This record gives sequence, structure tokens and C-alpha cells, in this order.
Amino acid sequence: MSAVRFSGVSKNYGPVVALAGLDLDVAEGEFLSLLGPSGSGKSTTLGLLAGLIDADGGKIEIAGRDVTALPPEKRDLAMVFQNYALYPHLTVMENIAFPLEARKPKPDAGEIRRKVEVVAQALGIGALLARYPREISGGQQQRVALGRAMVRDPKVFLLDEPLSNLDARLRIRMRRDLKALHAQLGSTIVYVTHDQSEAMTLSSRIAIFNHGRLQQVAPPAEIYDRPANAFVANFVGDREMNFLDGELGVQGGVPRFVCAGGSVALHPSAAVLDAGKLRMGVRAEAIAPGRDKGDLRGTVALAELAGPDLFLTVRLADDTEIVARADPREFAAREGESVSLAFDPARIHLFDAETGIARHHGAA
Amino acid sequence: MTDVFAHALRRRAARLAVNALIGLFALLPILWGFLSSLKPTDKIVEFPPRLLPENPTLEHYARIFADNAAYFIANSIAVSAASVLLTLALGALAGYAIARFRFPGRDTLMVSTVAVMSIPIASLLVPTFTLLSATGLADTRLGLVLLYSAYQLPVVVWMLYGYFLSLPVEVENAARVDGCSPTRTLFKVVLPLSKPGLVAAGLFVLVFAWNDFVVAVTMTSSESARTFPVAIYFYLGFYGREWGPLLAASIVSIVPIVAIFVFLQRHFVSGLTGGGVKG
Ligand SMILES: Nc1ncnc2c1ncn2[C@@H]1O[C@H](COP(=O)(O)OP(=O)(O)O)[C@@H](O)[C@H]1O
Ligand SMILES: [Mg+2]
Repeated sequence: MSAVRFSGVSKNYGPVVALAGLDLDVAEGEFLSLLGPSGSGKSTTLGLLAGLIDADGGKIEIAGRDVTALPPEKRDLAMVFQNYALYPHLTVMENIAFPLEARKPKPDAGEIRRKVEVVAQALGIGALLARYPREISGGQQQRVALGRAMVRDPKVFLLDEPLSNLDARLRIRMRRDLKALHAQLGSTIVYVTHDQSEAMTLSSRIAIFNHGRLQQVAPPAEIYDRPANAFVANFVGDREMNFLDGELGVQGGVPRFVCAGGSVALHPSAAVLDAGKLRMGVRAEAIAPGRDKGDLRGTVALAELAGPDLFLTVRLADDTEIVARADPREFAAREGESVSLAFDPARIHLFDAETGIARHHGAA
Repeated sequence: MTDVFAHALRRRAARLAVNALIGLFALLPILWGFLSSLKPTDKIVEFPPRLLPENPTLEHYARIFADNAAYFIANSIAVSAASVLLTLALGALAGYAIARFRFPGRDTLMVSTVAVMSIPIASLLVPTFTLLSATGLADTRLGLVLLYSAYQLPVVVWMLYGYFLSLPVEVENAARVDGCSPTRTLFKVVLPLSKPGLVAAGLFVLVFAWNDFVVAVTMTSSESARTFPVAIYFYLGFYGREWGPLLAASIVSIVPIVAIFVFLQRHFVSGLTGGGVKG
């Protein structure tokens, strides 16, 4: 039985399609991220699951029970909001105790106090219990919001961009803490983020959204290696993917991708593809710049040293630009120099030029 | 540099002068009334007038309390307090429903609330008197409470509606997910966060109910339901104008309102600066 199941759930705001016919299963104990650009329907999905938004159509189940018509207070979920939404008029202690106080029958005061203290200790905010939310830092408020969710031991945790208001260092620390927490509690988590690296590091599976439509649900490695379409391929990864338009050709029995700037050798398994217009997608790290021996040649338009990586933006003969990654200890090139680009056939993705749907992955 | 400084100084001086003038204009009659209430009857309207009483006396204050002022003040307090509580209770429920829920008839309700606000009270006096008589509520304190609440409810609904809209809805969403019904959310989260709004709306009703003369004098006739403003009016009655008791009673009626404003001032100020979703 899945912890959460969406069947054909949709939501429109006037002409805006916030969510279109979502079908999605979340397994028990899973850490599922909803990933997508701003406005893609992630928060809508979470709000529908929490009962804060009414669906236009479809069915939502939690632990096998149809909750589509249930109000939020009857769904037994815990939610952490992007801006924490702590109760400003209550102390940290009272904030964390709030869900227990609302429970029927209400646990006795001693038990509430004990549970709050256990959670507060686990999150390292035991010393702040008497303070008000305005008297503690953003990172501490974040932990209080987490504590308020944890204290109830809910069926499912919902988190809506919980780390996006924290500074970069704190975010990475909280990321690690969240992952440890999930491992320790073993609870089901649905996690909204627009940060692909956050989703990649935390999730057991990622659901990618665009324009209210689910694009792909898969474990992080599969999303990365076998993106279902050009949008997914471009959205994950630290940098944008390189795209070249062209078509399939064969040379000496080896399939090649033929484009305006030349042609690139493909993985032998690509030979089975039908002819037709294709779009090739390759990440910078799958392209090795060198002096020669590459498939395509071009001129370095921009050289950026980013930590341990050297990123070269190379302009091809037809003026398209490709970003390639080099190890600066092994290869260096200055702007204006001519370089050749060697593509790793195992890491080339081919998409339908019209629909963007994936046709072939080199690693297959 | 010095020019900017001088300019700022001039502006401050100008602002101070204007404020002083307004303060003087508002407070001078009250000061005059207070000082006159301490004068013996024959000195109140003497000519040429004198600001300070020569031989201050409390005789007028003694007189009004001998005339049962304490009872009428108690009536006024009871009627005002009950009106404030009733309007806030109903206004909070209605304002919250309009602010946060979509239901059939919501727009009609909002429009009619505004429409009702613009009906002048004078045009309602006769019909409401007939209504009160028919229901046996004429000449009762309960009748006054119901009328004051009915008159002020639309304004209070709008004030609280506006205040609730300004609250961060995410905090309420959090309460719902945390297991609160809409009603519990209202009482545990929304109202505690709305103290400044409730105080402002409550004072609005309080001042109206406390000061009302026209409605009370129309709807009541016996002493048992008489409020303080009506009692004061009787000093303008049968034996000519009794300036001394009139002034003394007016001063007494100002005191509780001033005291309440001073006491609640803190809530106005904290309402302007406190709160916020993050905090
Ligand atoms: N209350 C609302 N009224 C109108 N449009 C809304 C409302 N909430 C969300 N939307 C629209 O629905 C779409 C999806 O929004 P949302 O789920 O919040 O996106 P995300 O969380 O992925 O950034 C957006 O186009 C947004 O503008
Ligand atoms: Mg969002």
C-alpha cells in the first residue's frame, strides 16, 4: 500500500492550469522530492495533499484512505512551511506542543512536555523553549518548525522549500540533518524544492514538474542519466545541458549525429533509431576539450575557472556555443584559442526535436 | 550643511506649533469646563470671566452623586460593555468568515454590510422604537445593548475583516494542518494575533455606546434604564440651566474613556510594530 496516491488530480485557477491530471504514488518511508521551476505546481500539489487546496478533480489517498474531501485537520499530516509559519504569540515550547494540544483526546500536560523536550533535544533547541519566535534566529525558527512537525509522529511529512530562506552554509548543514532525520525516523516525506542539487542529494525519488505537469518520477541517478525529456535533462545538473539540433547518420557502420558544425560519434546502440530530426543533449562533463582528436572544433569564447573545474564555452563554426569541462591541471586554454571537443558516446542523450521526448540514452 | 540643519529645525518648530495649536483648541474647552465645575454656582457665568476658581468647591460633584449619578454610570458601563462584547463576538465570527471562506451569498453579505452602514441613525429611530415596543424591549438596558450592537456591527465586521486579511494566512494553514478546526483556529491563533484590531474596533463601539444620547433618550423613559448622558441632559431641564452639575457630570463622564484609552494605548502601538510570519 502506498503512503500517498494521487489519481488524476487537477487544479485550475481560472485559465491557469496549476496542476494537470497528476498520477503519483509515494511509497511508505520514501523521501520524495517535488522538483521544478517556480510556478510549476509543486506547492499546489502539496497544498492539495494537505487539504489546504480543494481539488477540481481526481482522488487523493493517504495510507489507502480516500481523503479528497477531508479537511486538513483530519488528514494527520505534518507540514513545514517555507517561511516557517510559527505562531508568533506562542513560545517555542508552546509552538512545538501545539499539534498535541489540538489532539483529541488531549494528552496530559506531563506527556506533552516530555515529548516536546525529546524533540527539542534532538534538534538542539532545548535551551530556547521559553523564547518567542521573534527572539530566535532564522535557522532556529526552522528547527522549531521541524520540531512542531516531528512531535506528532505523523503519517506523512510535507515540507515546502524549508531551506530556501537559510544562507548557503546553513542550508547544506540542514540538508545533512534532514537526511539523517529521515534515516532515523523512517517516515514518509514529500519535499518541495526548486533546487535540483537539494533534490538530488536528499531524495529516494524525484518527481519533476513543469507547467503543472509531471514530467518524470525516478531515483536521482536515473533522472540524471536517463532523463525522460529535454526539459528534465536541462533542469537537473549544475549547469544547463548543451543542445544541438541535427539528425542521425551512419559512417563506417557507426551511428553518428550530424549537425551544422560537423558530426559526433554515437553509442552503437543508437543504430536502432529511426531517421528523423533529433536534438542531442550532452552535459559539460561528458565533453572533453583537447588540442585535437575531437569530433567538433571551435574557438574558446569564455574560460571560467570554477573551483576544481575549468569550464570552456566553445563557439562552433556555425556560431552555436557548447560548454565543456576540463581538469585545469591537465588541460588549459585561453579565450580565442582553437580547441577540439571529444564527446563521450555513453553520455549522449537524443531527444525528439519537436516533442523533446527522449529517444535514446548513450548509457543504455 | 548648516542650511539643511536649519531647514529641519524650522520644520520641526512648525510642526510643533501646529500640534500645540490643535491641542489647545481641543483641550481648552475641557480645561475651562473642569475649572468652572469647581466654582460656586454664582461664579460660573460671572463677567468678566475668570479662568481659575477663587474658592474651589466640590459641591456640584456632591450634587450629581446625590442625584444618583453612580447608578446611571453603572447603567452606562453595563450597556457599553455588553455592546462591545456582543459586537466583537459577532463581528469576529462574521469578519473571519468573509475574510477566509468562500460561501454562497458572501458577496451579497459584504455589499449589504456596507449599504447598512450608510443609513443614518436618525431615520431608524422611529421604526426601531416601534420594534422594541412590540418585543417588550423598550425602556430596557437589553434593548439599548441590542440597538447599539446592531448599529455598530457593520463597521466592526469591516474593521475586523480588514484586520484578518492582513494576517499571514500561512500561520492559519499551519494551525489547520496541526489539527485545528476553523473555529479552533480562530480562537487559538487568529484572535490572539488580532488584539490590536479587536482593541480598535472595541473602542469604536465603546465610544459610541458611552456617548450616545439620541438613541437612549428615545428608547428609554424610566430611571431604571437611564444612561449617564441622558441623566446629564436633565440638568438642562425644568429649572433652567444648571451649569455646575452639568459641567461636573460631563467631566466625570470623560474620565473612564480617557483612562481606557491610556490603558490600551500600548496595544495600539504594539499592533503597529509586532507580529509578522517569520517572528
Ligand atoms: N491562489 C492562487 N490563485 C491564482 N493562481 C494561483 C494560486 N496559487 C497558485 N497559482 C498559480 O498556479 C501555478 C502553480 O503554482 P504553485 O503550485 O504555487 O507553483 P510552485 O510551488 O511550483 O512555484 C502558478 O502559475 C501560480 O501562479
Ligand atoms: Mg511554491
